[in-house]
Amino acid sequence: MSKNPYRLSNGGARIDRARKVTFSFDGKDVSGFAGDTLASAVLASGQKVFGRSFKYHRPRGLVGLGSEEMNALIGVGEGNKHEPNLRATQIEIFEGLSAESQNRWPSLKYDIGAINSKFSRFIPAGFYYKTFMWPKSFWKHVYEPFIRKAAGLGKAPEGRDPDTYEHMHIHADVIIVGGGIAGLAAAEAAASTGVKVLLCDENPVLGGIADLTAGMIDGECVVDYADAAALRLAALPNVHILTRTTVVGHYHHNYLMAFERVGDHDPAILASGAPKHRLWKIRANKVVVATGALERPIAFANNDRPNIILASAVRGMIGRYGVTPGSTGVVFTNNDDAYLTAFALKNAGVNVRVVDSRARADGALVKRAMADGIDVQLSSVISAVEGTLGVTAVKIAAYRKGQGRVITEKKVDCDFIAMSGGWNPALHIWCHNGGKIQFDDGLQSFRPKSHTDNIVAIGAANGTMSVEATLLEAQGLAKKAKKFKVEEPVRGALESLWFAPATGKYNEGNKHFIDFQNDVTAADLELAQREGYESIEHTKRYTTFGMATDQGKTSNLNGLGVLSEATGKTIPEIGVTTFRPPYTPYSFGSIAGALTGELFLPVRRTPIFKWHTDHGAVFEPVGQWRRSYTYPQASEDKHQAINREILCVRNKVGMLDASTLGKIEIKGPDAAEFLDRMYTNTFSTLKVGKCRYGLMMNELGFLTDDGVTVRLADDHFLMHTTSGGADRISAWLEEWLQTEWTQYKVFVTPVTEQWAQFAVAGPHARDVLSKLVPDFDISNEAFQHMSFKQGHLGGTPVRVFRISFSGELSYEVATPANFGQGLWNALMEAGDEFGLSAYGTEALHVLRAEKGYIVVGDESDGTVTPIDVGMEGMVSKKKADFIGKRSLEQSFLKSPNRKQLVGLLTEDPTEVLPDGAYAVAVVKDKPPMEMIGQVTSSYMSPTLGRSIAMALIQNGRARMGEVISFPLEGGKVMKATITDTVFYDKEGGRLHA
Amino acid sequence: MLEPQFESALAHRATPENLSISMREITERGMIDLRGLATDKKFMAAVKSVLGFDLPKAPRTSSTWGDLKALWLSPDQWLILCTRSKTAALLAELNSALGKIHSLAVDVSDMRSIIRLDGEGVRETLMKGSSLDLISDDYKAGTVRRMRFAEIAALLHVVEDNVIDLYVFRSYAEYSWAFLLKAARKGSEVKLFKK
Amino acid sequence: MLVVTCPVCDASGDETDFHYGGQAHVKRPATTDPVNITDEEQRDYLFIRHNPKGLHFERWRCDRGCGKWFHAARDTMTLEFKATYGITELPPVELMKEAKGPWAEFFKKRLKEKA
Repeated sequence: MSKNPYRLSNGGARIDRARKVTFSFDGKDVSGFAGDTLASAVLASGQKVFGRSFKYHRPRGLVGLGSEEMNALIGVGEGNKHEPNLRATQIEIFEGLSAESQNRWPSLKYDIGAINSKFSRFIPAGFYYKTFMWPKSFWKHVYEPFIRKAAGLGKAPEGRDPDTYEHMHIHADVIIVGGGIAGLAAAEAAASTGVKVLLCDENPVLGGIADLTAGMIDGECVVDYADAAALRLAALPNVHILTRTTVVGHYHHNYLMAFERVGDHDPAILASGAPKHRLWKIRANKVVVATGALERPIAFANNDRPNIILASAVRGMIGRYGVTPGSTGVVFTNNDDAYLTAFALKNAGVNVRVVDSRARADGALVKRAMADGIDVQLSSVISAVEGTLGVTAVKIAAYRKGQGRVITEKKVDCDFIAMSGGWNPALHIWCHNGGKIQFDDGLQSFRPKSHTDNIVAIGAANGTMSVEATLLEAQGLAKKAKKFKVEEPVRGALESLWFAPATGKYNEGNKHFIDFQNDVTAADLELAQREGYESIEHTKRYTTFGMATDQGKTSNLNGLGVLSEATGKTIPEIGVTTFRPPYTPYSFGSIAGALTGELFLPVRRTPIFKWHTDHGAVFEPVGQWRRSYTYPQASEDKHQAINREILCVRNKVGMLDASTLGKIEIKGPDAAEFLDRMYTNTFSTLKVGKCRYGLMMNELGFLTDDGVTVRLADDHFLMHTTSGGADRISAWLEEWLQTEWTQYKVFVTPVTEQWAQFAVAGPHARDVLSKLVPDFDISNEAFQHMSFKQGHLGGTPVRVFRISFSGELSYEVATPANFGQGLWNALMEAGDEFGLSAYGTEALHVLRAEKGYIVVGDESDGTVTPIDVGMEGMVSKKKADFIGKRSLEQSFLKSPNRKQLVGLLTEDPTEVLPDGAYAVAVVKDKPPMEMIGQVTSSYMSPTLGRSIAMALIQNGRARMGEVISFPLEGGKVMKATITDTVFYDKEGGRLHA
Repeated sequence: MLEPQFESALAHRATPENLSISMREITERGMIDLRGLATDKKFMAAVKSVLGFDLPKAPRTSSTWGDLKALWLSPDQWLILCTRSKTAALLAELNSALGKIHSLAVDVSDMRSIIRLDGEGVRETLMKGSSLDLISDDYKAGTVRRMRFAEIAALLHVVEDNVIDLYVFRSYAEYSWAFLLKAARKGSEVKLFKK
Repeated sequence: MLVVTCPVCDASGDETDFHYGGQAHVKRPATTDPVNITDEEQRDYLFIRHNPKGLHFERWRCDRGCGKWFHAARDTMTLEFKATYGITELPPVELMKEAKGPWAEFFKKRLKEKA
């Protein structure tokens, strides 16, 4: 017997019989031909089972031909290259491909989980909700692990994905979704007007199912017409064609997302540097939905057995790959189209008979079948299937529409079934962004109705099943409609068949599967109905019908049909569930695109970043910046390093990279008045060359930013903001200038990144600067605290601000960013003899906390006013108006019961309060306890040799000296005394040294 | 040490290899951010007296005169490009010509890093990170556009058909460089509407 | 992902190139009379906003472009931009007339002033 017994001796338009390809499936070598899909090659080898079902672990085979396949989900590749849940019908085989079936253990033939099937009476719709309810503790330790092992589809890949992915943008006048007959004709029509046309198709070859369609266009058979059209389009400069590219979603303003499988089908492409997948972000003026239609299965007893395949898929297997599912088949249909499959089988030498549920079928194709001697049984259904790992026989019974159960059955041997319940227009893309649909009696399915976007549906997607009418619709895209001469068989009417009866009703011994992927049967839907799930959306969630990757492609209409018959309502009355993107799943890799690893998040680096790295800095994120947290030396831990850095500043001199501070130049005749509007305090009185600390509120009266602003000239200021606030505050200033005080003549230019800026702080700060021979007087008298100088330091241009966030003598030195590293090195060298060392942001935070300086974002959280933090003195009483003033006057923002900023000293000086710890009025055994405030900053102060903290405490300023309690996890309670917030150098003498 | 030490943001990055286009950092360029009202004739005249040419008034355009360029950023904002060593002198000239005229000129030569992209496919390479239709006629040589690139703000200047300067804030230079290394990788080229 | 066009610089782009700034034509009482503002007036200024189904008037900023603020009239159902106009301007008259609910009330006075 041949290795591939089901490969026909000839035929197969897509395969190249001269090129043999060997690949591995479940560890066994399988041979096929170039052009085969994994589905066709495995089917040719005689294997019918491709996987096990989700819930019952029933053996499952192929159903479809393309992306609608819901059973044959395959894992491809090994280890970190593994990709689960790919449809066998879309996997193009190549030499060395390694694939495996999923959801089975230990093998496809013997699956332990199949026991679920025996208990299926106890696993009805909603069984998760009914069964795994109690006891609560069982969920985590018993139920969930069990369900996770038993259910689920493929497994996640292991390790980091070595392949690359990317995004790509494209704009087109017209995007055509689907490259079948409709899409090709529409592309040609649109392209003839000269506009830019993008044509996307999920298959490797354009043409859709032209090769499975009967008829002639202008004397050519349909498939030849399609092939020629594809070639003509490929030569046009205004047409861009993307194959293996699925349009997965349609969004607002004709934005579409498409998923291109660039290198899945050929390892050589990946090796050349191409990404594995590419996600296209498409913007189009007009969208043409030419997505075709999907054939629907029929709900008959045990209709999920392997080798029960959609009629069009059987036709495709023969025509494209020269593969037949078996040697004796039954075509089960309620429409004329499936007769084409009967002809294809007969031509291939396969025994075939037709079971047609209609009482009357007199279309051209039916007549031809009868004339050709094919056994056609009208008024009949398949009422039972025999066989488990395949089909061995069917039972055929007489049927009249609406009949609930069958009486007599006749057994017929066969090894596969080709079923066709009619065709559903593929409405997903049409519906993603709100397209309306209507029920079509002729199709017994929904078709597009209306849309508010610039979008049209044509061809089968529009419910137009004839070739001639499809071509006509496509001409809507052209300026001048082209005429075609089309010959095609006249079709007889379809008759809906939502439920092919068996000897029993619904679940009486049989399973009529509606949603194969989610293991939902007609009985489940009927049960949901009886249990009161009247809304179709509720039924969907309760039964899982139409969920997951299938998104109702094959199941939707059949489910509605069953519910319609169960309730006596019409299908439009029942309604449809929502179609949500994506049309088919796309990879996480493609969603991430290039933004992985070092590109995962934009990281901002200061000009000194490399030095920090070279000197062992531990970084912390501040917005997108990476700032040095501390610089541990050889044997130090972080804590020791921070303490050393703090004491270095207090006793000698330290240097901090403060380049991230926001810097904004503000200039114009109204600049001073404008700043008076922006800050709570007054800047119009500031003298040129002097600095002033300012507070900013939002219109709600809450603190949003703070910083030091210097007056460079009468009409010119330089504002400093917090590192995190730089962009926000410059946008904030612009907003008020543009929208409220439009009469102000003020320009605002953010210059944060122009400058590298360092704080040189400590008793020896002046000595360090002096060593670099400044060309300005830096004596204490000439350059006082809160003033500004411009000049050169060691030949480098600088702006120097004598300001301090540490409480020590301190200068902030700014130089153009590209001179930053040079100046930093020079200062380091100059400071060597004074014991200068770099300090990081944690030392900075402790130093400022020792002085009781607030950090906006630590001491404030967006609901804290300047009064709350004890800075009422900085809120001008004289100014008539500034941002937040009126809100701050609201009585409840002045209430003494608000939380106020205070200092805390713990009872045990060696213990540090946890950041964010809650203070309570009375400690109780367990919550709830009345909360009176929380810790905002808390540190071990090496300067004071004890812990310090700041906190927002209800009415705190009136409670000085009071001891309050902080209940912590594990029953521990810490106690602390409320104090002033300034812990060190209360007189501030060191600042002016 | 009395000479300032110059070190650009990408000074430590090696010359890239295996790319479909060429890219390098431009460091020899000075930049002045100039604010003023295009409707203010005195302002426009004062600037012209220094630059020798009119500031461009049409959105997203640029003007060139010798080694000077002016890029339109907003109805009241331009980026003046010059030789880096001449920036301070040019700024002083501008400020003296502008005098009391409402304006703000700032040396921002170090605020942005410039990456020069050169070669067929520069537009498509950038379209991996930008939603703009850079292959359309809207982006002829001379066009200037601020945009979102990858996940950051950037400014694009089309110098010639296949030469584009990408301006990014200095702190994002390494991020942009790394993104471009990936996007321009040989073998990953995408050609749009080109046969 | 909406497409927005800035009326100041005429640049079109994805909405991520722009910044949404909430409802348009909110008057800040403190700018004209900082003294006599009732708590209710301040509340309305800070918090009370329209939420119409259909035509709405909004503020946007050409965030990644020219940096300028502008107004937009947008249908919240179809998401169509009906018009964009200057940040200190009122919408086109026909849109003021088309406005419904609280917006109609708001524009009634402005239309009278224009007439």
